[in-house]
Amino acid sequence: MPRVRVLIVEDERKLAQALASTLTSEHYDVVIASTGEDGFFRANAEAFDLVVLDVMLPGRSGLEILQTLRQRHIDTPVLILTARDGVDDRVLGLDLGADDYLVKPFALPELLARIRALLRRGRPSEAFRLKAADLEMDLVGRRATRGERLLDLTAREFELLEYLLRHQGHLVSREMLAREVWKEPRRATPLDNVIDVQMTRLRKKVDSDAADRLIHTVRGVGFVLREGEP
Amino acid sequence: MKVPWSAASIRARMTGWYAVALSLMLVVYAAATFVAVRQEFQEGLDDQLHDDFESAEGVLTPTADGRLAWLDRHHDPSNDEDRGSDVWSPNGEQLVSSGASGTLPPLALATAGAQPHYQSIVAKGRRWRTLTGTTMVSGRSVVLRVARSEERLREQLSEVLKVLVFGLPLVIVLAGAGGYVLARRALAPIEHLAVEARRVTAERLHERVSVPNQHDEIGRLAAVINDAFSRLESSFDKLRRFTADASHELRTPLAVLRGIGEAGLVETRTPAEYKEAIGSMLEEIDRLTTLVDTLLRLSHGDAGSVHLSRESLDLGQLTREVASSLGVLAEERRQRISIESIDGVRVSADRLVLREAITNVVDNAIKYSPVGASIAVSVRGDGDRAVVEVADQGAGIAAEYRERIFDRFFRVDSARSRDAGGTGLGLAIAKWAVEINGGSIRVDPGAISGSVFRISLPIERLLDHLQRQ
Repeated sequence: MPRVRVLIVEDERKLAQALASTLTSEHYDVVIASTGEDGFFRANAEAFDLVVLDVMLPGRSGLEILQTLRQRHIDTPVLILTARDGVDDRVLGLDLGADDYLVKPFALPELLARIRALLRRGRPSEAFRLKAADLEMDLVGRRATRGERLLDLTAREFELLEYLLRHQGHLVSREMLAREVWKEPRRATPLDNVIDVQMTRLRKKVDSDAADRLIHTVRGVGFVLREGEP
Repeated sequence: MKVPWSAASIRARMTGWYAVALSLMLVVYAAATFVAVRQEFQEGLDDQLHDDFESAEGVLTPTADGRLAWLDRHHDPSNDEDRGSDVWSPNGEQLVSSGASGTLPPLALATAGAQPHYQSIVAKGRRWRTLTGTTMVSGRSVVLRVARSEERLREQLSEVLKVLVFGLPLVIVLAGAGGYVLARRALAPIEHLAVEARRVTAERLHERVSVPNQHDEIGRLAAVINDAFSRLESSFDKLRRFTADASHELRTPLAVLRGIGEAGLVETRTPAEYKEAIGSMLEEIDRLTTLVDTLLRLSHGDAGSVHLSRESLDLGQLTREVASSLGVLAEERRQRISIESIDGVRVSADRLVLREAITNVVDNAIKYSPVGASIAVSVRGDGDRAVVEVADQGAGIAAEYRERIFDRFFRVDSARSRDAGGTGLGLAIAKWAVEINGGSIRVDPGAISGSVFRISLPIERLLDHLQRQ
């Protein structure tokens, strides 16, 4: 299976390095362009599966690059990074043909999830059963079992577990949970506390009687559902 | 004059207006006086002519040769320059004349009617006033004309005019100077006030201007200025506290980050230890991010650049949602949240923003109530207000903190709140979120213990009305 190629156009060197090393460890092929010109040149000349594009670049702005690429019918999925929390940049970016956006500062797990979603786009991926080790979820029957044991989950816990299972092996941040599971666009302290409590309860139900733990907390980042060590 | 009128001082303008008004009045007054005096003089002259006519009539006698002559025992020749009289026969023959009558033009008999009449004429450069009338002398009808020069009258009038014309500016100048002095006196307290107010600067905001008499206009102005200073001082204080608190709150995570980083670099540690250190740094970054995000949102709110998407909301339903979402936090502390709400209390508000307000207030109640306590939440309509009340069983808030509890970063007990995971902005966000939706929030002591937070919003009238039908 050919490796997925990702172009990162980002002038902030440290951030570009961090992105590159994270993506590399997730088995992506990464190319970094640190100026707008370089980024445009590469995106134009080489074939990429995805472009991560900073909006504020010296020289040529990210939005300009995006616009030119789309005018030339280069339809590589583009995820834009914007530091401004204003609606304008995002709307403008999406109007110009960006496929998704992230506001800086963002959590890397979030970026990875967005990238996975963009690469998955267009492919049917809905499964009715999710599985990890001996944990199984039946989304139609709304049942979850760990080995032989039927898990007695609340509605919220069920959704939470489903989300973790869909992203199994990948880090899930509180930000992502707040937005995707709790449907709250903004993360606030009370909600963080709620997420932590719910996660503790879910973990108790899923892992307490089992030999190996599936749900792990990664301090400072979030949670991951994974077989074996986190 | 280079200074535009509107830029001149009030004192100058008052004096100016005063002088202009006074001048106008004096000009009118002088003109009226002059006209009246002239009228008076004219009438005096006419009266004299009338007397002259009668006395001339009396001294006119026929002579032996059938002509007429003046029988004038009191004739004063020194007056002959200024007066004269003559008698004409009905067919235009001058019968007799005396004084200056010789210089007058012949009498136009056509104009001499039966009734005596006055006339002003000019003869040889002099103005005369005449009285002409028909009289009978020993059975003959003759026309008698008496005349007096108007020159003296005109001289007197021009004297009066001179006094008026030259006196007027003098009076105006004097009055203007007086007005200026008066205006300066009247405005002196304002000048004084300005000097005092200028003394109050950002560094000396506690100073106030003196109020000499609080019942007069200046006193009220001074009171208003002092009031403005008080408000300015309190918002300055607020800002100062906020800056100090914000820098503390922002520096703390930075200091922690630096500490962990430096400590981690000093010695070689195990990978697990490094992971631990990095994780804890990330936690601080997370906290810092939340803090900065919240501050940015509040400052967007201050700048008024927040777009609300208002919709009609059932306040009871929204509150129940919040309570059920935060329920797990209460359960962890073995607290009970009781909700008493009626349906149909509807408000027009931005769902997410209002939800945030209620969330923060309920979260606050959970955080500061002891383990095992119960928290009472109620939703009701109160006249034209929709009210959410959250009663906790915490330690309560001392009266002096009740206003400040909604200030950014204000903490009654600064030691414990950071450990509880708060940013110190929860209630500030709540206040902002309620107020931007047109409501208000306040805190009162609870009936037995703790505090009651009361969010009050304008009830949606239209739906309220429909429901009654």
